[in-house]
Amino acid sequence: MRKSILSVLVTALLLVSASTAYAADQNSTPEPKIKVGDAAPDFSLRDQTGKEVKLSDFRGKKNVVLAFYVFAFTGG
Amino acid sequence: MKAFQDQLKKLEGADTQVLGVSMDSPFANKAWAAQIGVTFPLLSDMGGDTSKEYGVYNSTYKAARRVTYLIDKEGKVVEMQKDRDAIDPSSVVTSCERRKMKS
Repeated sequence: MRKSILSVLVTALLLVSASTAYAADQNSTPEPKIKVGDAAPDFSLRDQTGKEVKLSDFRGKKNVVLAFYVFAFTGG
Repeated sequence: MKAFQDQLKKLEGADTQVLGVSMDSPFANKAWAAQIGVTFPLLSDMGGDTSKEYGVYNSTYKAARRVTYLIDKEGKVVEMQKDRDAIDPSSVVTSCERRKMKS
């Protein structure tokens, strides 16, 4: 009986410390500065063919999906 | 980015331009685009100015974080997805198609 109580306590303790570590990890990545409702800052960047592309090129014409990715040659 | 390429017809049909952005060089992006068959622009934010301005720069990896924005025709952010959620474009596709129907 006592053993089972002890194991429950140990499990609970492990869970608490794991979730604290997880929360700390989440906090180390700050929220993006630009959020829903903000004006998207303009940029002028070179594409894979060497052409400059501006966000403002699409103003009034198209929606833009702006997909930031970590590294080329990786998934996602 | 492959997932966005797969949905490109639908997105373009809903008046939407897809732009990928990373801190890779245009040369790396060119080779990668050819390898995975991406035809939309992959923009090179070397130095990370744009990533930092949007607040998606990850100082640990010295790279952009996986974040997807949907920006409307007026230049306003209408949707944002982070990390794992940002990989699947289906919710962005749905909102673009909905916006198209409304307009």
